[in-house]
Amino acid sequence: MNRTLARSLPVAAIGVAILLPMFMGDYPLQVARNIMLYMALAVTWDMLLRSGQISFGIAGLFGLGSYASILAVVRGGMPGWLSIPFAGLFAGLAAFLIGFLILRLRHTYFSIVTLALGEIFRIIIHNMHDFSGGPEGIVVQQGIIFGGASRNLYWLTLAGLAVALLASYWFEKSKVRFALTAIRNNEISAKSSGVNIFRWLLLAFVVTSAIQGMMGGIFVMSYGFASPETVFSADFTLLPLAMALLGGIHSTVGPILGGLLLGLVSEWLKLQIPYGHLVVYGVMIVVVILFMPQGLLGLARKTMRAAGRNRK
Amino acid sequence: MKRFVLAIAAIALVVSGVAAQGTIKIGGIWTLADITGKQGSAAAQLAVDEINAAGGISGKTLQLIVVDDEGKADKAAAAVEKLATVDKVDVFVGGMASGAELGKIPSFKKYNKVVMSTGAAGSATVEKALGPSPESDFYFHLHPWDYNQGASYAEGWDAIQKKYPNVQIKKIFLAYEEGAFGKSSWDSTKILFGADKRYTIDGAPFKSALLGGGDYTAVLEAAKAFKPDLFLWAGYDADALPLLEQSKAMKFSPGIYLGAPPGWPIGFGSSRLANNVMLYGMWSTAMNDTNAQSKKFYDAYVKRYREEPATYFALLAYDAVKILANGIKAAGTTETAALVKALEATSYASALGETITFKPSNVIKHQGITRQKILQWQGGLQEVIWPFEAATAAPVYPFPAWK
Amino acid sequence: MALKRRNLIISVFALAATAALLLWRPTVLIYGLQAAGLYAAIAIPMGLVLGIVHIVNLAHGEFMMLASYATYFTCKALGMDPLIAIVPTAIVTAIFGWIIFQLTIRRALKAPELNQLILTFGIAIVFSQAINLVFTSQTYKMPLDYVSASMDIGELTFGIWSFVFVAAAILFAGGLNFFLKRTTTGKAALAVGQNPKGAAIVGIDVYRTYGLVFALAIALVGAMGALFLTKSAIFPTVGSPFTMKSFCLVAMAGVGNIPGILSASVLLGLTENFLRAFRGSREWADIVFFVLIIVVIMSRSLKGRKS
Repeated sequence: MNRTLARSLPVAAIGVAILLPMFMGDYPLQVARNIMLYMALAVTWDMLLRSGQISFGIAGLFGLGSYASILAVVRGGMPGWLSIPFAGLFAGLAAFLIGFLILRLRHTYFSIVTLALGEIFRIIIHNMHDFSGGPEGIVVQQGIIFGGASRNLYWLTLAGLAVALLASYWFEKSKVRFALTAIRNNEISAKSSGVNIFRWLLLAFVVTSAIQGMMGGIFVMSYGFASPETVFSADFTLLPLAMALLGGIHSTVGPILGGLLLGLVSEWLKLQIPYGHLVVYGVMIVVVILFMPQGLLGLARKTMRAAGRNRK
Repeated sequence: MKRFVLAIAAIALVVSGVAAQGTIKIGGIWTLADITGKQGSAAAQLAVDEINAAGGISGKTLQLIVVDDEGKADKAAAAVEKLATVDKVDVFVGGMASGAELGKIPSFKKYNKVVMSTGAAGSATVEKALGPSPESDFYFHLHPWDYNQGASYAEGWDAIQKKYPNVQIKKIFLAYEEGAFGKSSWDSTKILFGADKRYTIDGAPFKSALLGGGDYTAVLEAAKAFKPDLFLWAGYDADALPLLEQSKAMKFSPGIYLGAPPGWPIGFGSSRLANNVMLYGMWSTAMNDTNAQSKKFYDAYVKRYREEPATYFALLAYDAVKILANGIKAAGTTETAALVKALEATSYASALGETITFKPSNVIKHQGITRQKILQWQGGLQEVIWPFEAATAAPVYPFPAWK
Repeated sequence: MALKRRNLIISVFALAATAALLLWRPTVLIYGLQAAGLYAAIAIPMGLVLGIVHIVNLAHGEFMMLASYATYFTCKALGMDPLIAIVPTAIVTAIFGWIIFQLTIRRALKAPELNQLILTFGIAIVFSQAINLVFTSQTYKMPLDYVSASMDIGELTFGIWSFVFVAAAILFAGGLNFFLKRTTTGKAALAVGQNPKGAAIVGIDVYRTYGLVFALAIALVGAMGALFLTKSAIFPTVGSPFTMKSFCLVAMAGVGNIPGILSASVLLGLTENFLRAFRGSREWADIVFFVLIIVVIMSRSLKGRKS
């Protein structure tokens, strides 16, 4: 019984997600788009975390992808839809090159270097006035992709999220999982048992960066503009982190749950308490971290275990 | 996913309420954590209540529904969608930061309802994203574009030099914050003042304290070396006093010391250094003495909210609602084509000391205010120097050398 | 021996470069040092927390912001100068910091470091947004005459007030060095930082030590809040950029290396101001910060692998 439920739940969720535009108005679709974007970032961040590497570079890669996409369209005349995979490719290639440099770093030093690289991307874009539009940003003059049709934009973002989820699923179910977990738990013994640490880290870093860049492409194509302060915003680093953590790390479901929680609560609070909702939002993050240190997923596991024990 | 659907439905239920008959709904979107948005939304509510107290619009009452955009493009887009589809508002008002405005534009275009915009001066992005008439005809832009502001300053300084021959400007130095606001000021200053070579222009960027900077030494060294007659800084209120204090420490005292922040820090006027600093702006409390509209607004606002309007954005929001209401009354409907037509005939005597009409700008068809004012801090008050018809005092020149 | 000779060569080279800079662009040196002082004085308390309690406190700058607001309104009400408020502010913020530590951070110390990170991120949001709600986003600034104090040397005129930050940084670094190396409590704190389990075995109350060190760091941040108020305008988000800067500086110096924060700050302050002094490089001054961090961290990691 429990197993059938566990198997049918994801299928039902996917069905609902795909069909949502059929019975939802434009406002819920817009909110869903915002949340799914962050979810994809949270899941990909978590994928790298499974190797123990904490990246602070999400905003940097997201921004890089955003500009790759919009500049390809505005300066290179690329069709909007094509610029999205291009953004992913570009960010992935950048991550491949950077990876050789930084994937030998560990702990805080890796985090700080990814943060610094993101800032470097931002400053370069900011200062290339004539090509990138500079601090003011750049606009797609022919309008946004799909003529702004809400449903199509929703499905586009959903497709982006689906790519992230499939990659995460692949990481979980293939030997990538074994390699990354081995690196996380004990790098030295992983090395001695023949795991090529650098190669696996590079794979994880390139894949997650490419998806983050692609989400950047989806973002700019859905709004038709990019500016350094918008697409390199620290929000794109900190919120996915918070979502993954509040949901439960080292899993695919955790970041999804966390994204739902933070995304819905922030939108709901905003409408309930127009002035001061961000205070409540902060308090909520503090409380959840303190009382659910393992995130929602940990809490669910604990309750299920307790329920199981009671039944016996 | 089911929980998600339920939660969304719950949100929709809580906020939508029942659409009352005989109500005209205005959707207001500002960044509420920012003082401009906080006071803008308050001033708009004041205008709505005044109109309703006077009997509404042809028997219908006005209702303002405010949603926060948090200064973010995605949240701003959600705000438009919520107001348009859940609350089913008839018209929109609001706006300040260009980044958030750009997030709204695709949704605005989709619904094609009239928008009375109170901010977003970035022509390189916002005006471009709006695009030319007729697609952007629904959009009424009250605030001057960056190039409008530049042009009006060039005009203002010409007029001041003509009227007060002792004021002599040859060299202008612009210290601009490195973000979008400063950069667009620099671009328009270069073009408009540098055009016919009457002025020599130089400039350097700095990082505003608002964005984590606050070190003005390098930019002031560059300015000092240039020896300008007019020193202009385009930054934020957080830069105002520290910049001045640093200037004094470096004994940099140009004949005209001019600031163009969107607002000034609390207590700026009480600093001894502040006296005779010039500024760009649209409104000041000094105008209450010469402009009845301004006084009426000011008194009503202070009475209701027990605080002073800190920037002109409160007045813009107030005016935006009043202009919309007049338009709806004239058109007899909120239907876009008719309302646009009615609004095109607008001639509204604003509390900002000028009559607002809508004319084409470089790209869009409906641009409201094009002129800013040149003011001066005198004895703790911002006195209007130019335009002369709104002037409240004569300029003090030159800026006193540091003692 | 070889190491000593290399250090000597490096210091001679640094001295020569400084002398050349002093002659060629004296303002770069003056303002570079002033900037470095501010960076270092704010980063040192974060270095202390990271080195001993092992948490990245993302609310670091927000603690300073709160101290600045408290100082501003107290001084305004009592007609007092913020300089007089430095010590009282430090004491009050230390108590506040200790309370926040006991209520929140202490409970997350056993959790993975990411939990602590997001916890302090949440605290930072609460602090800055609560201040925003009460005092709005408008900025406040104390008009003070002495911050415009200036000095003339020949043709050169420059502000001297900001040297106060250099003094604060040296005082903080020296004081902490004394505390950690010469006092019993300090030695215990250092022991806890290096090996909490071992320290617990020899009878040191680890959690009490953590709380104490955190409170001490927040006291320094509080003192900086009062001092910062003399020079800068304050607003709800005034502290947050300093969190990232401090974090980067601490990482550049190497976790646990407090004197290293001083040299990292000087390197950064001078390079930034050097680039700002020229038309062609002005806009790129910001990037130096991040490039330097990467270079320093990368070269250290390479060196670490060789040895």
